[in-house]
Amino acid sequence: MNLLTEWLHTWRVPLLALLVLLSLGMAGPVLAQADPEGEIATAVPATDADTWRQVRSGETGPNYRDSRFDSNYNLINASGETWRQIRNRWVSPFGLIAICGMLAMIVLFYLIVGRKHLDEPRTGRKLLRWTALERSLHWSVATLFIILALTGLNLLYGKFLFKTLFGDAFWAGMISGSKMLHNYLGPLFGVLLVIILAKFLVRNLPSKHDWTWFKQGGGLIGKGRHPDAGFANGGEKVWYWLLATAGLVVIASGLVLDFPNYGQSRDAMQWANIVHAVGALGLTAVALGHIYIGTLGTEGSLEGMATGYVDETWAKEHHNLWYEEVKHQAADADETLGEESTPPQRSS
Amino acid sequence: MAQMKFMCDAERCIECNGCVTACKNANDVEWGIQRRRVVTLNDGEPGEVSISVACMHCDDAPCMAVCPTDCFYKTDDGIVLHDKDLCIGCGYCLYACPFGAPQFPKQNAFGERGKMDKCTFCAGGPANSKEEEYQKYGANRIAEGKLPLCAEMCSTKALLAGDAQTVADIFRQRVVQRGHEDGAWSSLEGRPATADELAYDATRQQ
Amino acid sequence: MRLTRKTDTPKSTSGLGISRRQFLKRSGAATGGLAAAGFMSAPMMQRAESAEKTPVLDAPVETKRTICSHCSVGCGVYAEVQEGIWTRQEPAFDHPFNRGAHCAKGASLRQHGHSSRRLKYPMKLVDGEWQRMSWDEAIEEIGNKVLELTGQHGPDSIYWLGSAKFNNEQAYLMRKFAALAGTNNTDHQARICHSTTVAGVANTWGYGAMTNSLNDLQNSKSIMFIGSNPTEAHPVAMQHILLAKERSQAQIIVVDPRFTRTAAKADSYIRIRPGSDVAFIWGLLWHIFENGWEDREYIRQRVYAMDEVRTEVANFTPAVVENITGVPEAAMRDTARRLAENRPGCVVWCMGGTQHTTGNNNTRAYCILELALGNIGVSGGGANIFRGHDNVQGATDLGLMSHSLPGYYGLAEGAWRHWARIWDLDYEWLESRFDQTEYADGKPMFSNGITVSRWVDGVLEDEEAISQRTQLKAMFYWGHAVNSQTRGPEMQKAMQQLEMMVIVDPYPTVAGVMHDRRDGVYLLPAATQFETYGSVTATNRSLQWRDKVIEPLFESKPDHEIMYLLARKLGFADELCKHIEVNGTEPLIEDITRELNRGMWTVGYTGQSPERLKTHQQNWHTFDFHTTRAEGGPADGDYYGLPWPCWGTAEMGHPGTPILYDTSKRVSEGGLTFRARFGIERNGENILADGVFSRDSELEDGYPEFTADMLKDLGWWDELTEEEKREAEGKNWKTDLSGGIQRVAIAHECAPFGNAKARCNVWTFPDPIPKHREPLYTSRRDLVADYPTWDDVASHYRLPTLYRSIQEKDVTGDYPIILTSGRLVEYEGGGEETRSMSWLAELQQEMFVEINPALANDLGIAEGDDVWVEGAEGGRVRVKALVTPRVAREVVFMPFHFGGMFQGESLHDRYPEGSAPYVLGEAANTATTYGYDSVTQMQETKCTLCRIEKAS
Repeated sequence: MNLLTEWLHTWRVPLLALLVLLSLGMAGPVLAQADPEGEIATAVPATDADTWRQVRSGETGPNYRDSRFDSNYNLINASGETWRQIRNRWVSPFGLIAICGMLAMIVLFYLIVGRKHLDEPRTGRKLLRWTALERSLHWSVATLFIILALTGLNLLYGKFLFKTLFGDAFWAGMISGSKMLHNYLGPLFGVLLVIILAKFLVRNLPSKHDWTWFKQGGGLIGKGRHPDAGFANGGEKVWYWLLATAGLVVIASGLVLDFPNYGQSRDAMQWANIVHAVGALGLTAVALGHIYIGTLGTEGSLEGMATGYVDETWAKEHHNLWYEEVKHQAADADETLGEESTPPQRSS
Repeated sequence: MAQMKFMCDAERCIECNGCVTACKNANDVEWGIQRRRVVTLNDGEPGEVSISVACMHCDDAPCMAVCPTDCFYKTDDGIVLHDKDLCIGCGYCLYACPFGAPQFPKQNAFGERGKMDKCTFCAGGPANSKEEEYQKYGANRIAEGKLPLCAEMCSTKALLAGDAQTVADIFRQRVVQRGHEDGAWSSLEGRPATADELAYDATRQQ
Repeated sequence: MRLTRKTDTPKSTSGLGISRRQFLKRSGAATGGLAAAGFMSAPMMQRAESAEKTPVLDAPVETKRTICSHCSVGCGVYAEVQEGIWTRQEPAFDHPFNRGAHCAKGASLRQHGHSSRRLKYPMKLVDGEWQRMSWDEAIEEIGNKVLELTGQHGPDSIYWLGSAKFNNEQAYLMRKFAALAGTNNTDHQARICHSTTVAGVANTWGYGAMTNSLNDLQNSKSIMFIGSNPTEAHPVAMQHILLAKERSQAQIIVVDPRFTRTAAKADSYIRIRPGSDVAFIWGLLWHIFENGWEDREYIRQRVYAMDEVRTEVANFTPAVVENITGVPEAAMRDTARRLAENRPGCVVWCMGGTQHTTGNNNTRAYCILELALGNIGVSGGGANIFRGHDNVQGATDLGLMSHSLPGYYGLAEGAWRHWARIWDLDYEWLESRFDQTEYADGKPMFSNGITVSRWVDGVLEDEEAISQRTQLKAMFYWGHAVNSQTRGPEMQKAMQQLEMMVIVDPYPTVAGVMHDRRDGVYLLPAATQFETYGSVTATNRSLQWRDKVIEPLFESKPDHEIMYLLARKLGFADELCKHIEVNGTEPLIEDITRELNRGMWTVGYTGQSPERLKTHQQNWHTFDFHTTRAEGGPADGDYYGLPWPCWGTAEMGHPGTPILYDTSKRVSEGGLTFRARFGIERNGENILADGVFSRDSELEDGYPEFTADMLKDLGWWDELTEEEKREAEGKNWKTDLSGGIQRVAIAHECAPFGNAKARCNVWTFPDPIPKHREPLYTSRRDLVADYPTWDDVASHYRLPTLYRSIQEKDVTGDYPIILTSGRLVEYEGGGEETRSMSWLAELQQEMFVEINPALANDLGIAEGDDVWVEGAEGGRVRVKALVTPRVAREVVFMPFHFGGMFQGESLHDRYPEGSAPYVLGEAANTATTYGYDSVTQMQETKCTLCRIEKAS
């Protein structure tokens, strides 16, 4: 059971990607419901064929003038419809499928398999795993992530539910609050994420035993035995590197959207928006798994991030290599109060 | 039910920008926002052509489809309006609009754009009083049985506004008078349209 | 320069409470605050903020009928007013000229009622600072200075520069004012607009005005625009032009150095070298004569001296023409063929034709072309001269010029006696007002005054060289944009030498800021034409009545009231308004109209009584869009606006003349013949019409002007009433105040002014047959020997005028590029007014120079670069480069509407607080140069030389 969780944890993202790709293939034929060309034809009928081609392409050549003084928009926003289709037909529905699917799988997993308890009884001796700084960083980032995820989801899906549910007046406040929280907290999240990524970089550098960890599906394959893991196991490293890649991309694209004052083009913002949405929806789905494993899913994990200390048994079972390095530092529970020494790192 | 449309007869448009200022006149639009704009292709060369564009009140409006707050709605006349109290200035309508119609009074950090503004076909917008409606959206000429001021004041009658069928009829008549190929919709295939095809797009209703 | 969105809260909220009507949005700061507040508090709802806009009122709506004040097309406007506030502008679909249509300027007229950039109260410059003063103080101080200067230097030391923005009544009153002040030093913008047209055309066939109407353009089969760009200058005229193109497949031909927006709508575009118009026209005539395309019968009956033209044209073979104009033979022949095969056709010209040292030659050449084709006096034909300002036609007709009294009566003693009778003033008293000394040009009362184009030289020229007692000592700029005049740097020098400058205008204007003076400048706020009422003459000679839309904003006063106040201070108010009712200090407009009706016999401004004009104004809908004739209704049968000549008295009910010289109509119904203005014979040859006459004319051949004696000879004398006989005895059709001579002539369907031939030879002009002459600053030195300019003239309009001595200097080494100028649709004239309208200013925020891509590459200039354009006399402007194929490689173009920058320096801070226009820019004319027409002193703005450098 534990192994299944770990396996899913690891392969969730590629699976999702595959699912999305398959769905896109199926969605293709039903695209193009809008007809901007028709609207253009209605709007400017008296043009000859050459002009018509020019207009339609959105490319307007060197001697193009606009009565708007500082406009850099072409006559026709040729990519607008593409953006709309990608967003509304692909990203929006499949983002929902990804997130709901993930939630459903977690619920299912929990109902069938239940919580992963420690195999051995607790020794009562504690190991310092997270310092106060690390914990506050983690919880700040986590809180911001959740706020951004919720407000982001509201921006994408809220109108289908809350507008009719609560009425325009409440919805107006809700959605404008969402946008403001999202726009003002987003950059803060970005800064903190970069700090936390830097802080945890060394622990998350890949090593040989990670490969074994993956081959054994995090313990799912080859029953009864945990694969080797240092301070961070293979699954955690994947989460780290997801944040370090997709996370940073989401942040960068978010900044493109959040600061129109730099005059980036409409096209740039369209692409940024798609990248942002895909990345953020994916991360949100993965984050659900992270949250599950870190709280309900695994006994002893949450207390580590809550208090900073983990039980010797937990360490031995989940992070045996790390445990080997630090076991001499294990202390009785009452001794750990107020302890703030840095946990030893893997030296090699 | 009428289906309101704009149509710009590019053979007549002389880029005088009368429509742009007529709009300002009717709606008191602030500096920096032109609900209607005039663009010119091949400026200064043979083949120079000018076109006046604003919100085209699309049948299947992309702005409506992508708005996160669902602030757009369509009137019985097919006019696409929006509720400025709901607008959050996210800019999505601008990303989606084929015509660059939505505009924002600002373009500040943290996506502070202010409330989106666009052509209302001189049909105002949702408000509790006439004053509020004018302050937020400008004139409601449609309610008085008048058409948008930009088209009414067009210097050469290039810009037409009104029921799609009527507008198409006027245009078709002009094409017949002009009696040459380029006076018509040149159609998607790049060939001149036949008389039957002329009204196709404008009369199409959903 | 990007515009900053600053709105100044006016200090004064008197009058109608301007703060309430300040529609412009305040700065964006409030929004940030609002957003933050929304972020903190619940519910976090961002209400749409409301910009300050025109208030929405429930008060009753008064609808005023007025006429756009931006150009001479004369578009009708419905202005809706509530509680004195101009709240709405509605299209006048029933107006016969525009059918509700407007260009950018017309569509933003309502902003005139809300302008916050106006000159708000009288001000004077004291030690470099603007000081507010009361009207009483201002009139007192200015008046004292005028009296002092008049006493010291004579009345000619003060220049009364009037305006084409006046309505007819104000223009007339201003000319009368100058006369009573004892000077002919008064003028207005017609001098630098169509003076060469008026002189050239009037001397060809009688009247110097547009022969047909905009509506009649719909009947043309071909329209040739030469030096005219109606899509920008007269956009609503394009409605008629495009109708001609669409409905009758009219050939649209554009001849211009620039591929204009009009050219974009044309069937054929011909690019010519600036200043080569006469050669171009002769080139067309060469093909016309060569192929026998001329209308021989028409020429035989109605044209004098076409043979002399034929001789001159013979020199302009295709090769010669190509060398001068740059147009190849095939294109010349094609153009001539299009004109010949598509008759009736007309020619349209504007500043591109007139603003040249050879302007009078150009305009006569165009006329001769149309005469050769038989296009004059027919519907669809004509010399359709589009006038510029809304009332430049009217102000010209009403004689606001230095060389004539109202009605083109001239300045001879007879003219003065005629007007003295109308004014009911003693001729001797009038004479006594003038300087009695005789100068080179004669006595000042009878000699042409200094022109608006030359006031700079009137200040700077040596005293001995000027044909009056002293140089000019004080200038009144009464509705004038000095940046529309050439030679900016010298103008600034002249301003510094003046003892007093008085600017009377709704806006401070460039004159108020470019002088670099510390004192001696007064600003008097004038009301706009929407804040007063009266009549205005459109380009087609129609008079239209305007309602007053709103009360004058701030402390401004209508121009005629300011004239009265000054006249009262100067001591001739009673004479000025002897038969004009004065309410408080405002002369009654209708009385002024009636007074001018009584004297304007020459051009037929006699039938347009205020009552008839108001009837037309109230019945726009009864006039046909195609013919402009009323069908039914109270004005049944009248042509809209009673286009002059509207013969006889108002009681006679003449319908106006829609097409000049149209013999297919009865004179009583608007028909005419060519005017017998130049005698009856020339060198023994009869110059009266030969066997042609207007419909139903009882005189079936040419005849001279009608006089009392002629009526007696014809036996028609007794058709006059006894009262008419008493007045008419010894008079002619121009001086008979009873109108009897005109009435009887028309009763016999004869034109009061006779029936003659149009003349191709104007023997009183420097070039009797128009000649091609190279511009003073020509880039084609090789052509100077064959086509030289004239010799210098010692005194013309009181000033020495240079030609040969300028052309002799070869400056092409330093200044190789041809510089020309023109208009933008968003602005008008000097642009102070339109650049102060935010709706318009937003559309054109940068002064620029158009440069051909090849030239730009040669100079290493890219689009958007700052460049210095330096004119051949050293005036420099710093502007943005606009790289475009619109201009040819050797030509650059600048729009002339900008001002408020001078040779790289911003004058923004010299405007009185809060009155600087939204958009400032260099004036194109800072870089333009010397050059004045040999007949009218028209300035040369369309062809000079310059160099361009990238600004660092």
